Amino acid sequence: MSGTPALFVERLVKRYPVVRGFRELALRPFDRRSVTALDGLDLEVGRGRVFCLLGPNGAGKTTLLKILATLVLPDGGRALVEGHDVAREPGRAKAAAGFAVGDERSFYWRLTGRQNLEFFAALYGLRGGDRDRRVSELLRLAGLDEAADLRFNGYSTGMRQMLAFARALLADAAILLVDEPTRSLDPQAADRIRSFLRSELAGRQGKTVLWATHDLGEAADCADDIAVIDRGRIRLSGPAASLAGGGRAALRRAYEQAVGNPVVADPAEAAGLEACDPVVADKSGGTP
Amino acid sequence: MGSGAAVPAAFLRRDLREALTYKFSFVSSIIGIFLSSATFYFVAKLVPSGTPSLGPFGGDYFSFAVVGVAFAGLLGMFQEGLASVVRSAQLSGTLEALLVTPLPVPAILFGSSLYSLLFQVFRTALHLGVALAFFGLSLGRINLPGVAAVGLLTVVCFLSVGVLSASFILVYKTGNPFSWVLGTVSGLLGGVVFPVALLPSWIRWVSSLLPVTYALDGMRKCLLASAPFSEVLPDVAALAAFDAILLPLSLVAFRLAVRKAKKDGTLSHY
Repeated sequence: MSGTPALFVERLVKRYPVVRGFRELALRPFDRRSVTALDGLDLEVGRGRVFCLLGPNGAGKTTLLKILATLVLPDGGRALVEGHDVAREPGRAKAAAGFAVGDERSFYWRLTGRQNLEFFAALYGLRGGDRDRRVSELLRLAGLDEAADLRFNGYSTGMRQMLAFARALLADAAILLVDEPTRSLDPQAADRIRSFLRSELAGRQGKTVLWATHDLGEAADCADDIAVIDRGRIRLSGPAASLAGGGRAALRRAYEQAVGNPVVADPAEAAGLEACDPVVADKSGGTP
Repeated sequence: MGSGAAVPAAFLRRDLREALTYKFSFVSSIIGIFLSSATFYFVAKLVPSGTPSLGPFGGDYFSFAVVGVAFAGLLGMFQEGLASVVRSAQLSGTLEALLVTPLPVPAILFGSSLYSLLFQVFRTALHLGVALAFFGLSLGRINLPGVAAVGLLTVVCFLSVGVLSASFILVYKTGNPFSWVLGTVSGLLGGVVFPVALLPSWIRWVSSLLPVTYALDGMRKCLLASAPFSEVLPDVAALAAFDAILLPLSLVAFRLAVRKAKKDGTLSHY
């Protein structure tokens, strides 16, 4: 299994049905319309790599993560987690990857951080002393040992995010899927999360991290590999050293070129930071 | 604790811990049981003992009504509990976090509703206990095999309806028709607080289509009227027929609902 990539996605397609109103249902009851979220997406993530997935809103990042976490079924193509097909072997695929559900509503607010983790640990098959040790270890790792016995509703946004990581690590899966983990965080809390993912999980524990983000600086600083996804396809992909070797400004130019949507001038770029020459993937075949 | 019991225990511990943070709700629930019993105790004084329609159930209206109300609450919870935990997890946002754990979806569903179901069993027992201790509930010679048979078949039947409801909620989120049809109609036509025999004949046939009619009829005969097993056999047969249809139907519906929600990407939407 050592030659198998941690994540392998081939020609993955996902279309969501369009919700229709009563009038349209009455006039065209058999008409089926859909929006394409993933349009034949290919991706490969090597073991022990931090892979940042960049892309505009609605590009398909969350859909990809949810398919890998077995929460959404694909309509075509295949997605393998540690070699396990998410559609055919969802149980094994789930066991191989922890999905850090970042939504703070995904916890029980009237329970403490420890009680929340104890509950989810039982669902991951941890029992008795093993469970207690694992929960304490993860609380310490997440820097929450002092707040472990406070109710979750008293946690800050950063603490809630760290608890979400702790929960995703309960099963000690080799792969971690994270969706915009630093959204809505203050700069220091965001730095702590980046450092935790990059240094602790990937660096020290050797985990593979697939990390969806909008933050180009975050990707430039933390990723081993970067891909830009737009309209359901990978538009740009490569090692961070090549794509972001010239700094955040270079990555921004490559990103804008990849998504075909130049935006306002970047202050960093205006300051004269140097760019590199990224490889832009085939841009044909976008969805209507 | 064996590994098989650890997961249900974790769900129970979670819900008990949450319930204990709402200190007054338990007390108000107990007060509600006293008030309900007292209401029927005084209403019963208007109904003369020996009313013909109460004959098959021991003849006492208070006992008839208390058993009806206590068990209807229990059946309602079996019928709606699963759907309400799915809805609650959708609304609270915990469903996605539960679904990425290795537990199969049915185990999550039953685990999440376990506390509510057991608490309702406790409430039902308490309801009967309060009526017995303070308001003179008159039990007959209890037919234990009959209670067990009617109880088991009723649980399977109402849990199947519960799974159908949960399937509907997974896909359509609200507007559960099973809850409306069986909940509302059963309250009126299922013999909860008055005997079905009092209904006009043109509508009485609807009662025969409702599982609650047989569940309450059988349970009252076993608890209140010292009826032998042969007397509750028609109720047992009717409930078994409901089970034979509803159980496989609900399991297929649930599997299809999970697949559709995963296909549509709406598993955790609300």
